[in-house]
Amino acid sequence: MKTAALIAALAADATPRAGVGGRMLRALVPALALSALALVLLWGPRAGLAGVLASPLVVKTLLPLGLALPALALVRRLARPEAQGGLPGAVLAGLAALLALAYALALARQGWAEAAAQWWGLSTLTCLLSVPLLALAPLAGGLWALRAGAPAHPARAGAAAGLLAALASAAIYTLHCPEDSPLYLPVYALAMLPVVAAGALLGGRLLRW
Amino acid sequence: MRDTESVSWEELMRAANRGDGRAYARLLTEVTPVVRGIARARGAALGADGCEDVVQDVLLTLHLKRQSWREDAPLRPWLYAITRNKVIDAFRARGQRVTLPVEDLAEVLAAPEGPDPLEARDMERVIGRLDPRSAEILRAIGIAGDSTAEVGARLGLSEGAVRVALHRAFKALKRLRERMIE
Repeated sequence: MKTAALIAALAADATPRAGVGGRMLRALVPALALSALALVLLWGPRAGLAGVLASPLVVKTLLPLGLALPALALVRRLARPEAQGGLPGAVLAGLAALLALAYALALARQGWAEAAAQWWGLSTLTCLLSVPLLALAPLAGGLWALRAGAPAHPARAGAAAGLLAALASAAIYTLHCPEDSPLYLPVYALAMLPVVAAGALLGGRLLRW
Repeated sequence: MRDTESVSWEELMRAANRGDGRAYARLLTEVTPVVRGIARARGAALGADGCEDVVQDVLLTLHLKRQSWREDAPLRPWLYAITRNKVIDAFRARGQRVTLPVEDLAEVLAAPEGPDPLEARDMERVIGRLDPRSAEILRAIGIAGDSTAEVGARLGLSEGAVRVALHRAFKALKRLRERMIE
């Protein structure tokens, strides 16, 4: 087929299609609803959830939700063939560094023994398993949305989708999680890690174009 | 938008993304010499036919991934990134690795097709592997210049069904091309 003929055929297929953003909306909203529903039905909300959400402890839920916003921007950005991490990537890296710093200060004040006692809390294993499980649907949705994109680095874009799914899942899991010490934070980070790795692995395979 | 007016690629692409087929045809026609120039400058080892394969690959990819262009961004960096990727793929299909700095691509001169338009071999080969009806729709619209309505009337399909079949045909072509590279 000559190039002019291909152009004529392509131009006949100019029906508008949804981009990554549109597909994100279409996939992530039901995926998050599914994960939230699963948490309520299978895990159950923690005792006195309403009171917790009305107290300063609501930060535990708001923190991953807040981080999910730059993660969402990062996914959309990495879906473009000409784009690097840019501003959302820098914002996320900055916030992660800030969190690490705050954690180091808390650790210095309260000591390793206290932190270790929190890490081996009764629900640590549940957290490590639940966050990846609750991230399955949003990760699938994010990768599906990214299939409309043309990421310069498929694995990186997949990892960003994994990070977004893990943050959303972590926010949902906080509605069940009984651990309230800030020293517990690394358990969440560890629980999110396999989701990011799965995103990178799947992205490298599914998002090539 | 009249055909003689000078319109930026960004404006053409925005119109195309809203379903304006004429603006889209004009954009594709205008970017093609630029893509061909890059393919010939960076892929000289592929030969003239091989370069035309790259050009068609870029057009097909651009088409299926056109929503990945952000409407407030310049179009050229996006186009160069896709072109670069497809030149690399063409070498990869021959078992070779090349590095192409994106910055170099902007300086390449556009290449017109020349008096005798090239038949890209790879595209013809993958069209041959489509189901017969998809291939017929694709050829009727592309080569014979029929409208979707005319093709539909001939095949006893609604215009919408022809559009859907055409879009699926492009997606299938892309998958088949990818399989050729791996």
